[in-house]
Amino acid sequence: MITDKLKQAILRELGLASWDLSAETVATEVPGWDSLSHVRVLAAVEDAFAIRFRSLEVLRLKNVGELQALVDKKLATKK
Amino acid sequence: MNEPNLAKRWLKHAEKDPSAEAIVHWVAGETPKRWCYGDLMLRAGGFAQELTSRGVRPGEVCAIIARHNPDFYPLYLAIVFLGALPAVLAYPNDRIHPDKFRRGLMGMAQKSGLDWLLTEASLTPILAPLIDGEHSTLRGALFPFEWPESRATPNPVVQSAASAALLQHSSGTTGLQKAVVLSHHAVLDHLDAYAKAIHLSSEDRIVSWLPLYHDMGLIAALHLSLGKGLPLIQMSPFEWVSAPVLLLIALFEERGTLSWLPNFAYNHIALRANEEDLEGVSLAHVRMLVNCSESVRAESHDRFYDKFSRYGLRREALAACYAMAEATFAVTQTEPNKEARKLVVDRQALAEGRVEIASPSAPSRTCVSSGKPIEGCETRIIDEAGNTLGEARVGEIFVTSRSLFDGYRNEPEKTAEVLQNGVYATRDQGFLYDGEIFVVGRKKDLMIVAGKNLYPEDVEDAIGAVPGILLGRVVAFGMDDEGAGTESVCVIVETPLVTPGEQETLRRLIKQAGMAIDVTITRVFLAKPRWLIKSSSGKLSRRDNRERALAELDGG
Repeated sequence: MITDKLKQAILRELGLASWDLSAETVATEVPGWDSLSHVRVLAAVEDAFAIRFRSLEVLRLKNVGELQALVDKKLATKK
Repeated sequence: MNEPNLAKRWLKHAEKDPSAEAIVHWVAGETPKRWCYGDLMLRAGGFAQELTSRGVRPGEVCAIIARHNPDFYPLYLAIVFLGALPAVLAYPNDRIHPDKFRRGLMGMAQKSGLDWLLTEASLTPILAPLIDGEHSTLRGALFPFEWPESRATPNPVVQSAASAALLQHSSGTTGLQKAVVLSHHAVLDHLDAYAKAIHLSSEDRIVSWLPLYHDMGLIAALHLSLGKGLPLIQMSPFEWVSAPVLLLIALFEERGTLSWLPNFAYNHIALRANEEDLEGVSLAHVRMLVNCSESVRAESHDRFYDKFSRYGLRREALAACYAMAEATFAVTQTEPNKEARKLVVDRQALAEGRVEIASPSAPSRTCVSSGKPIEGCETRIIDEAGNTLGEARVGEIFVTSRSLFDGYRNEPEKTAEVLQNGVYATRDQGFLYDGEIFVVGRKKDLMIVAGKNLYPEDVEDAIGAVPGILLGRVVAFGMDDEGAGTESVCVIVETPLVTPGEQETLRRLIKQAGMAIDVTITRVFLAKPRWLIKSSSGKLSRRDNRERALAELDGG
């Protein structure tokens, strides 16, 4: 389940008013989400949730669902 | 015979010290695969035998299309060992439509004459029509990474120094892509001259994430290491771009001293690096980071230094060079152990072609030096009329080099347009100051995004078929993206559509058309019919329309 908060963080960074982001969505399908903007999207997600990703953690993320799972894991270990 | 030859040079290093490290094939989070010179040559010898038994002959062009693979290096060497010509091509990424990829490859096969595709079996579905097709000039596709490992003492076909050693393809789709032919002597002379310019020593270790189909990755990393008997630590470009801090980690773990980077990489790394990743990392032993492949921006160096000086990065390590495949690689290089010089010049005077140091209150532009010509190279600044200009005047940069290319393969007219009497017209704008070259712009409409050349024609073609655009009424251009330290792609299209809904849909379709050729279009300017103006040549002027669009239109 992709949270609204994650969706908003991503869409805002990409300058998209709306886009259907599901767990299976991959970056290449989303306008403007390329390898350069990807690092800005990750930075935006970090800021939105006050978490920090390690490079190895984000390296092999395949889709938005895996990003959500990583965010959830980070939030859980934060508390 | 003491003539320069790549195979002989490599074997000489292997003979001298077979246990010396040659290639460290680096994968994040895994133990690297380490090739020593001796074993690398044996494995290459094995590949050479296999390739020969399957019909590959001297002089044939072998295109390698592969992802980050530890066997890439011996395969590349093997092609040279059998006297054939390697041409490294980009592996299609997820965004590219297979048809587009196939068509591009077909165009290349016919134009530059590709004889063999050496690639991964997983690409068979995409490549099959290409190989079996009636107009195919290809002799076949081979999957060397599937073959059982073999080793053999290399028995190279030693081509003459003047004969072609490798092909370097420029970017662009069919019709625009050109294959630069480099001879053995061009490559080796260049490595020797460049090594002098950067004070290369046996202590150096090169770390690179650059793709090997790009001239900087191929020459400054792979050939420089192997040609000089030094180690190359090679990372995957795909891994790096998602986690750019990996470069710094690799530099530290492998005690790298040198790395070459396009300007955007400085911004990219600075944006992503966090303290946790860099815990314990020191960059004190990095003696040169060479900024090359696109405009060097002072801001990018500053941003990078501010972020990483606390990890031991020295300002003197921030170097730059001006390079092009047509000169094998570097034409100019800043001095080792000295930060690339910055000049704060008057913006207005620069626009008028004069270099004047800006007074404190005047609008200024900070230009960064790309250094002085390396041995065997000369640069001249030429004005529109063909006259040589002195220092502090802006004009087109012309280059002579001992390592100049032989020409674009099978393109005598395109070659003649830029190469005359051993002088190459770069179509880059710049000036000389105290003997150093400063590159400030481009005469051609070419865009450079993230260090890679991108032709506006390719973007215009890709979006041309989007419904709602008037036929042929589209122009693409680059805009400086300060945040990213590179250019972003913008387009202007003429459309009769007027409602906000229709326009929004059009914008979205245009951006998606860009995605299909792996180009992110950042801004779409919509203009009414007949808005675009033509230059005196009768063609749509990208330059003029760009200025008007920025002044008059809304870009979304």
